[in-house]
Amino acid sequence: MVEGKAEKPVYIYINGDNVEIRDASHVWGKLVSETEDTLRKEVGVDRARIACIGPAGENLSLIAAVMNDKARAAGRCGVGAVMGSKNLKAVVVVGSKGAPTPADREKFMQVVREKVNKLRNDPVAGGGAPKYGTAVLVNIINENGLYPHRNFQTSVFAHAYDQSGEAMAAKYLVRNKPCFACPIGCARVNKLFYLKEEVEGPEYETVWAFGSDLGINDLHTIILANHLCNELGFDTISAGTTLACAMELFEKGYIKPEELGDEPPLRFGNTEVPIYYLPKMAFRQGFGAKMADGSYRLAESYGHPELSMSAKKLELPAYDPRVAQGLGLQYATCNRGGDHIKGYMISPEILGYPRKFDPQDDSEGKIEMVKEFQETTALVDAMGLCIFTMFGLWIEDYKDLLNAFFGWDLSVEDCLRIGERIWNLERAFNIKAGLTKADDTLPKRLLEEAVPEGPHKGSVCRLEKTLPVYYKLRGWNEDGTIPESKLSELGLEWYK
Amino acid sequence: MVKVKLFATLAQIARKRMVEVEATTASELLEKLSQIYGEEFRKELEGGMIFLVNGINIEHLDGLNTPLKDGDTVSIFPPIGGG
Ligand code: SF4
Repeated sequence: MVEGKAEKPVYIYINGDNVEIRDASHVWGKLVSETEDTLRKEVGVDRARIACIGPAGENLSLIAAVMNDKARAAGRCGVGAVMGSKNLKAVVVVGSKGAPTPADREKFMQVVREKVNKLRNDPVAGGGAPKYGTAVLVNIINENGLYPHRNFQTSVFAHAYDQSGEAMAAKYLVRNKPCFACPIGCARVNKLFYLKEEVEGPEYETVWAFGSDLGINDLHTIILANHLCNELGFDTISAGTTLACAMELFEKGYIKPEELGDEPPLRFGNTEVPIYYLPKMAFRQGFGAKMADGSYRLAESYGHPELSMSAKKLELPAYDPRVAQGLGLQYATCNRGGDHIKGYMISPEILGYPRKFDPQDDSEGKIEMVKEFQETTALVDAMGLCIFTMFGLWIEDYKDLLNAFFGWDLSVEDCLRIGERIWNLERAFNIKAGLTKADDTLPKRLLEEAVPEGPHKGSVCRLEKTLPVYYKLRGWNEDGTIPESKLSELGLEWYK
Repeated sequence: MVKVKLFATLAQIARKRMVEVEATTASELLEKLSQIYGEEFRKELEGGMIFLVNGINIEHLDGLNTPLKDGDTVSIFPPIGGG
């Protein structure tokens, strides 16, 4: 836990049991890759791992990320600004102790081998993901009619193929780059011919945020925008969709051309916009200063917060909730705001894992699935596993892993209970922080304006129907608060 | 004629992203495609697939018996994940 604030820029260096707070003035203001290279050299250990912020976090942007391994991000909710507010540029770690020992090493390794094999033989985890990366989703989401376009004004993009995983593999891909010890290996390394270095990413969400959502089909611009976000330390979803919101404000005449002066016009499809404005946002210069804190603050400052496509002020990801009703409920109820990964309902609603549901189904069975998905994901997160393992594994598999490691004898129900406990604890925290039922909602557009085209033309997100059922299934009160009996049932009565 | 869009490995095997085929049901269409594009294509389909007719998954229509008519657009994907 890092408490308080340093007087001047510092970084924390942890080597085994040794912890030092060191001066970071020389890397303050530097981009992420230069910061990593400099600090790694300075501590003199090649295998040192580094989490740091870029200029966006230093300047307290509310959409700043914490970056590690140069191109991997703890992106959402502005965590980069938390480090920035403490004058903490980086945490550098050299581990010297081994991994914790399993209760029964042989048994554990046997279960791990079994699960890794399951992943390797899985058509998604072992096939599609490593071959085309996460951007393989672009076409299927677009063909299903839920690929948001121009700040969710519609959800079909005619030029989606140009930015798909298939197109990326054909045009720019150099190789895959798995995260540490990952048997799946979905991450991409791309090359733009004029850049000396290869660049990592973009992932599906980023392709969409700087592509379809801005009305841009040009994958080259998207790759560059992603690279800029990594170097400046931005969350790509929030950064891209903030620009989309700005474009709609400009299109509707709320942002006046005079306000921009000689800065690029915020027209949909203008590829200069992300490349020009991202650095301006990170350093809070020119019109970039207005956009540095995300779409909600921007839209609110023009008197139109409804044009921010966000939930609990966190920008929504790359799927239209008017088409996938379960995902709409997830967006509205996710404890950290408009987020897909804490209950990835696209998996059952579109892709068919762990079982296929009709995206428009809003029955109790679907809502139970939302709950099960949230519970399972909370467990997987707490185990420190990548959630992409959930394409090949499910709750029984995670149970086996936990039992083999700790020598426990948990049932599937016990495991779901762990997830439920986490979900409720987060909820209780939010309630204490002042959030209410009124915050479990979506932008008016998604609840009232029907999808204008595509296979689900005419549909809206039917949250008014699903939310009360969800509260009931969770055992919460009608106003979204948690009854004391529920807290004690989960062993959380101490949290008041 | 039904307009068929192929994606990912299926497009790679067929060396085509789009093709027009005469077929009256989903299963007939798959049989015709396998005849045109051969054993490798058939094998890939056997590994599972996502089949949409005008953007709606046939699992929520009539499965492989889903009727097709002139002017329909079919999109076929191998199993896919990401996020
Ligand atoms: S750990 Fe997850 S994100 Fe990283 S390469 Fe593996 S599957 Fe992809």
